[in-house]
Amino acid sequence: MHWLYLAVAVAFEILVAIAAGKAEGFKNRKWTSITLASGAAATFFLSKALLTFDVGVGYALWTSVAGVGITVLGALFFGQRLNLHKAIGIVLVIGGVVGLQLSGSA
Amino acid sequence: MPNVAQNSTAAASKNSSTNAWLSLLLAGVFEIGYALAVGGSEGFTVLTWSLVAVVFFLLTLYALSLALRTIDVSIGYAVWAGIGAVGAAVLGPLFFDETLTVAKGVWLAVIIVGVIWLKLADRTKPAGAAAPAQATERIAGPADAVRA
Repeated sequence: MHWLYLAVAVAFEILVAIAAGKAEGFKNRKWTSITLASGAAATFFLSKALLTFDVGVGYALWTSVAGVGITVLGALFFGQRLNLHKAIGIVLVIGGVVGLQLSGSA
Repeated sequence: MPNVAQNSTAAASKNSSTNAWLSLLLAGVFEIGYALAVGGSEGFTVLTWSLVAVVFFLLTLYALSLALRTIDVSIGYAVWAGIGAVGAAVLGPLFFDETLTVAKGVWLAVIIVGVIWLKLADRTKPAGAAAPAQATERIAGPADAVRA
């Protein structure tokens, strides 16, 4: 269940990133509201996930998997290029998450 | 007098750069507070920690947005995320009933290096090649921040 909470928190955090990008320095009201609302939702589901995960583990998983999601979605839908530098970052994050899980630390 | 104007601009930008980095470090510290408070709120059932979490959430956003007016967005995000994640991992065991084992520490380090590396990938130009034009670009601020 805690992995599900974490996944929902990650999804909202990705939405925060997209909305903040469209909020034009928080001048655009609609996207600023969406940014804050998604941030609140992300925080809420993160706190549910942290009922089980250690704070350090859950927080790192949340922020890094969201980072990977933002990069991948950026490449798929927002015309960003997926270069070698980004690919290395993605591999590091995924490797770390798998390692954490396999070592029984997550 | 173009020279005078240039000098005072240089001095002002040095000052604002120091302030921006202070804001960024503060934002990182607030982010650690946010992470710990969200954990301590136990699913937002503990009132005090929940309120502290909300306050830190607003503080970290505000300090980060100040910092990103001057500091390159990707570098700002990398530093901010790094401080938050390392701080939460190290301080979690102090505040809660948690342990930081060697295996956990190593894999967390891999993840944190990965996310810092990923944030740095969005840097628009190599640091050395910063043209004056880029300064105006940066003022656009957090808006473009997350478009990545």
